[in-house]
Amino acid sequence: MVWITKLLLLPVMFFLGAALPTSGYAEKQFKSVTGPCNLHFPRDHGPHQDFRTEWWYYTGHLESEEGHGFGFQLTFFRSRVTPPATVRYPPESPSAWRTDQLYLAHAALTDIPGQDFFHAEQMARAALGMAGASQEGDSTSIFLKHWYARIEPHIHKLGAETDDFSVQLTLKPAKSPVPHGNSGYSLKGRKKESASCYYSMTRLQATGSVFLQNEEYPVKGLAWMDHEFSSAPLEADLVGWDWFSLQFNDNTELMIYLLRQDDGEYSPASSGTFVEPAGRVQHLSREMIDVEILEVWESPRSAAIYPARWRIRIKPLDLELIVRPTLADQEMLTPESTRVTYWEGSVSANGSIEGNALHGAGYVELTGYAKKFDAPM
Amino acid sequence: MLINDDSAIIRAEGLTRVYSMGATEVTGIRDVSLRIGRGEFVVLKGNSGSGKSTLLALLAGLDQPTRGRLVVAQHDLQDASQAELVRYRREIVGIIFQSFNLLPTLTVLENVCLPALLAGDPLVQVKPRARQLIDWLNLKSRDNHRPAQLSGGEMQRTAIARSLINDPEIILADEPTGNLDSLNGQTVIELLSELNRNSRRTVIVATHSSLADPYATSHICLKDGLITESLCEV
Amino acid sequence: MRSLTLFLRLWTWFSYRQLYAHRWRALAVLLGIGLGAAVFTSVRLAVNASLHSFTQSMDTISGRADWSVVKPGGRVPETLISDLLKNPSVKTASPLLKTYVQAGEQAAREFLLIGLDPILDRALRPWQMDADALSASTWLDLIGQPGTLLLTHKLMASLRLESGGDIKLKYFGRSSKFRILGVLNSQGLALADAGYVAITDIASMQEFTGLHGVVDRIDILLKSTATVRDIERIRAALPAGVILSRPSEAREAGRMMIDAYRLNLSVLSFVSLFVGMFLVYSLVSLNATSRRHELAILRSLGASSKELFWLFITEGAFLGIVGWLLAIPISSFMVHKLLHSVSATITHLFVRVNVDRLKLDPWEVLLSFCVTLLISVLAAYQPAREAVRVPPKEAFLMHDRSLPGHKPLIFPAFVGLFLITIVLPLPKLAGVSHVPFSGYVATFFLFAGFSLLSPWFLAFMGTFLPPLLRYVGGQPAYLGSRYMRDAGSRIAISVGALITAMALYVALVIMVHSFRNTVETWVNQSIRGDVFLQTQTGSVNEYRDPLPGKVVEQLESMQDRIDLLPYRRVYLYEGNIRYLFEAIDFSIFSKYGRLLFLEGDSPAIMQQLAKGEGVIVSEVMANQLNLKIGEYFHAKVGGADFNMPILGIYRDYRTQGGVLHYSLKHYQKLTGDLTWTGTRVFLRNDQPPPRPSREAIMQQLYRIVRHTPGVVVTIGSDLRREILRIFDETFAITTVLLLIALFVAALGITTTLTVLVLERTRELNTLLAIGASFRQIRAMIFWEAVLMVTAGQILGAGCGFILSRLLIYVINRQSFGWTFLYSVDWGSLSASLPLIFTTALLAAIPASRMAFRQSPASLLRER
Repeated sequence: MVWITKLLLLPVMFFLGAALPTSGYAEKQFKSVTGPCNLHFPRDHGPHQDFRTEWWYYTGHLESEEGHGFGFQLTFFRSRVTPPATVRYPPESPSAWRTDQLYLAHAALTDIPGQDFFHAEQMARAALGMAGASQEGDSTSIFLKHWYARIEPHIHKLGAETDDFSVQLTLKPAKSPVPHGNSGYSLKGRKKESASCYYSMTRLQATGSVFLQNEEYPVKGLAWMDHEFSSAPLEADLVGWDWFSLQFNDNTELMIYLLRQDDGEYSPASSGTFVEPAGRVQHLSREMIDVEILEVWESPRSAAIYPARWRIRIKPLDLELIVRPTLADQEMLTPESTRVTYWEGSVSANGSIEGNALHGAGYVELTGYAKKFDAPM
Repeated sequence: MLINDDSAIIRAEGLTRVYSMGATEVTGIRDVSLRIGRGEFVVLKGNSGSGKSTLLALLAGLDQPTRGRLVVAQHDLQDASQAELVRYRREIVGIIFQSFNLLPTLTVLENVCLPALLAGDPLVQVKPRARQLIDWLNLKSRDNHRPAQLSGGEMQRTAIARSLINDPEIILADEPTGNLDSLNGQTVIELLSELNRNSRRTVIVATHSSLADPYATSHICLKDGLITESLCEV
Repeated sequence: MRSLTLFLRLWTWFSYRQLYAHRWRALAVLLGIGLGAAVFTSVRLAVNASLHSFTQSMDTISGRADWSVVKPGGRVPETLISDLLKNPSVKTASPLLKTYVQAGEQAAREFLLIGLDPILDRALRPWQMDADALSASTWLDLIGQPGTLLLTHKLMASLRLESGGDIKLKYFGRSSKFRILGVLNSQGLALADAGYVAITDIASMQEFTGLHGVVDRIDILLKSTATVRDIERIRAALPAGVILSRPSEAREAGRMMIDAYRLNLSVLSFVSLFVGMFLVYSLVSLNATSRRHELAILRSLGASSKELFWLFITEGAFLGIVGWLLAIPISSFMVHKLLHSVSATITHLFVRVNVDRLKLDPWEVLLSFCVTLLISVLAAYQPAREAVRVPPKEAFLMHDRSLPGHKPLIFPAFVGLFLITIVLPLPKLAGVSHVPFSGYVATFFLFAGFSLLSPWFLAFMGTFLPPLLRYVGGQPAYLGSRYMRDAGSRIAISVGALITAMALYVALVIMVHSFRNTVETWVNQSIRGDVFLQTQTGSVNEYRDPLPGKVVEQLESMQDRIDLLPYRRVYLYEGNIRYLFEAIDFSIFSKYGRLLFLEGDSPAIMQQLAKGEGVIVSEVMANQLNLKIGEYFHAKVGGADFNMPILGIYRDYRTQGGVLHYSLKHYQKLTGDLTWTGTRVFLRNDQPPPRPSREAIMQQLYRIVRHTPGVVVTIGSDLRREILRIFDETFAITTVLLLIALFVAALGITTTLTVLVLERTRELNTLLAIGASFRQIRAMIFWEAVLMVTAGQILGAGCGFILSRLLIYVINRQSFGWTFLYSVDWGSLSASLPLIFTTALLAAIPASRMAFRQSPASLLRER
């Protein structure tokens, strides 16, 4: 396992959501999500600047002609540092550096046969062409330094280059965007405002190349895209979450979102989504989802004990799966910035649905295991 | 203070000299009374620690008694001031040391002239006198030499010349032959005797040796700081 | 050698008790050594503290940057950042904007404000906000909230502020209120400028200073895989005028200058220690010679000559060690006094340093200990060798037959003369990296030469003077002067000490006077001008802030009453050497002032300069970079390439490096840069009457400036006075060091005289016995002192004159690059010499008191 200590850590959405200081500014001062999101595309592929946090999150599995398998992740986060109208002394003639939007990006690559994991982070403010997200016509461009994601009507283009690897991918959506929850209104707690607008592109055909350790691999595979924006932090009694995104061989996809409470139980706000081959979306509530932890793994670094194998049962779907990571140690430590430690990595799934064999791959994210998830930035 | 007493040139009464050496007190001489007549050749005898040197120092004006009275050539020494002692040392006594004590950086001639120059006599007057003495003492060929270049006998003869330059009334000699071989020693004693006879100078010689005995007009013997009446056995 | 314990016991019984029995003598020597060691150590610690503060500041500011993108003489466009960040071989690129600002209502405190992007800068420069449970502020608020900053503890304390409070900052006439978000942890960047630093977001910095669109530099950290080609590609992609430079350049340039200064001060302070060496010599020598008889007895009892040798070496070592221990309290006092003046001098002369804390470097302590011990042992070597030569049979002698040795004096005198003569050609060898080795070697030869000459000189005096002196001082004078002839090397050593101290004194008096005279001439001829106008923080911020256009316009409108001499200044680097590029109007300059050219026809050169046909360089710059008239000089200034012949070399005593002058008109044409860094103003008196009064013109100037805060007006005469004051201040330290050396030398004279008297107790008592009075003997001792001091002063002055030439034409030139016009202040020299003379004579008093400690009766005492 190769650890490259990077400069800044780029946490996933709720890291920021929870990690950003309140600094005396109430969440109310940011725009909140309190009801159906009324998502329209391609408009809502773009940035929603008035909300505190937002990200565009791509994961997927790729394979070269020789069968060399990779898991990849590329995420762009936008974070608004201050809500509007709370700036004490607004400058008369602002500097070109003056912005309240920060961008963070995270790229990771799992070399499955090599049993190796690489990741890198970037962070910059949205000024002077260093980072940003914008829309031009029907296209959305998100970039941070030389990493980019470009969302065009029928194609997504991704690119990231790190010290150890680089990815250049073209993704073709095979299904329409899937809004989660109630038209994208995804509840994340007891309160109405503890919610985000959340949709996914659950199946994208990926082609491109992966460059790793002086070797270039032309690859093909499947990718998943999440786009979520919100202003709410994690509620006080929640310690973290377990998130699953799985793509199956029968052209279906599953997303599960389990919020863990400090009493060990999953929050009733936990939920999931099942996407049928034709694109029909089924919302899954907490009661429908049964997740059992079969194995755990202890991190030699953080001493956190993560679930390392699950049995997932979705009763209404007659779905049963065993999900296991392709590599045990896909833990991310971020001592430099947010000081958040979490696990995010490529997994494989095997099981059955309505009696038929089912297998697939996906990504799992586990937060709040090293320490209760409340790190300030 | 001058006291008129022609018969004795040196008169001591109840002379005592006590030294404090830290916590202890050492008596150099105790209750010494003596009279030495003008023109005498006195041999002062005594073992180490007898008080010989103490008595000689008092007579030389190098020290002052703790108690008692000492009058030398009508100079009352026990109450004399420093200036008076200086004058005394210049005019009345000439001293010859066992270890010669010549100034190493001066030549024979210069050493001989020195006491007169210190007394304030001009060089033009002193030099001829010095040369005379040097001639008399057979040092003419050495007059430009420095003490390091002289033999023991020559050094002592230089010291004798020096002691005479101011024409003193009394010559004090402390073990004058102590650092000399017997031949030179004999020469020195004979010189002293000649001085005593020809110029009627009072000569006092403190010595262990018996070389001076034949020339002595009297003996003074000291033992443990006191004068013993009997002939000294040394 | 037998066991160590036996030796130590022997040493205690024989040497230590002797030292203790005569403890006042030993104390005098210990004091001398202590002072010398204290001076040496304190000076080095003080300079080291400045050096440390400087390099630390530079290092914390450069951080881990591999390269810096800079624009010489200007600022870098901020738009370069995104391209640099996108470059695949760049790990991170971070902009930096820093300036000195003033805080508080009375603008009492000036400190360094650094504007950076906390995100981009993370990888380069470590700094951290103190965790504060009460405040939820984080560094993100620096970005999110305009006008916020972080201060160090030190700065907060000195400004009496609190976290969460407000602070008013002033820069260049602009004033703005900032909110204090929190405190910086005392690490990394927070240690810059001795901890008087604040950090703000770069956006806030630009908004406060008005420096939109530019940054001071962009620091780059490359990926480990970056190649030389990648670096060249980055370089090639930079716009005109912008270059890639190593961040260490500025640090190395400054460090070199401070290093040179440290060496010079160390050598100077070493003199006190060196002089103290003579004290050790004379005391050990006394102990060795006065106890010859005892040494003979020891030998006769079975002690080996080796043991005796080590007895005296150990004595020397003991004096050195105890003297060094004595130096500790003296240094603790001295170093704090020195710290301020040394750092102020370095700031004036070289680079800005801010020191308020002293680091006790164990290596420095060890160095001073070893040096002190070494010279004490060396000093004891000769007496130890002499002691070994005492034959055991001397135990039989009743008295010390120690007759003064008749060492041949002619041979050492010839050697001395030879050494003195090669002093002149030796310095023709160039210095090695600003260390004037040949100068120091020549100095050493000079001192050694004169010291070897002194026994012969004393003997000479002792031969020819006595008859003459007899007329003046009688027999005591004769005897005293006679003694000089034969006193031997013992006196010569102490006289040597006095020669050394005296020579240094004379040399430095001449050097300082020459320096000051030359600087005064330079100030009065080249720094002409009734009024000087410049931006307030101009020189501190490396001349990046030009005069506002409005001010220039208004000044130009007054040209019927005043003559303007504008200039544009830029700091450039040639390798590691920093120099000032100054473009001025030469025709105006020639009208009012003069340059002191070292060679070449001044009017012809000035004409060529006015036509832009070449450049002139200062003497310092010529020496530092080995430039000659006729050579071409190349530089990149204001985006333009510059290749001009050197027309002349002139004297310039501006501190902080060399200067190059070029015509302003031609510079403007070449670069398109029409800004002025500042201007001199001359009040014209060639207009027909009625002429406006001086006061009226001055009032008008003040009025212009008053409406443009941040521009400073300096009256010419005040400026000239200030320059001279700075020079005087920098030599204050040197003067103090010298006086200490002289004091130590005087101590040496006292000790020597005492030694000489004690050795001759027998002789002095004999003189008493044969009719000398106390007064005559005291007079003799005084005459000996007079002659010793006179010999020391004559030889010392001679040595000093030669040394002054070495200092001015060799050591100064090789260390700093400049020379001065030689001139001697006969007045103060002749005034000070009698003073030294009297002081030295006072040293004779304790000695003469010693003469009569022992009663003359001891001459007769039986053994």
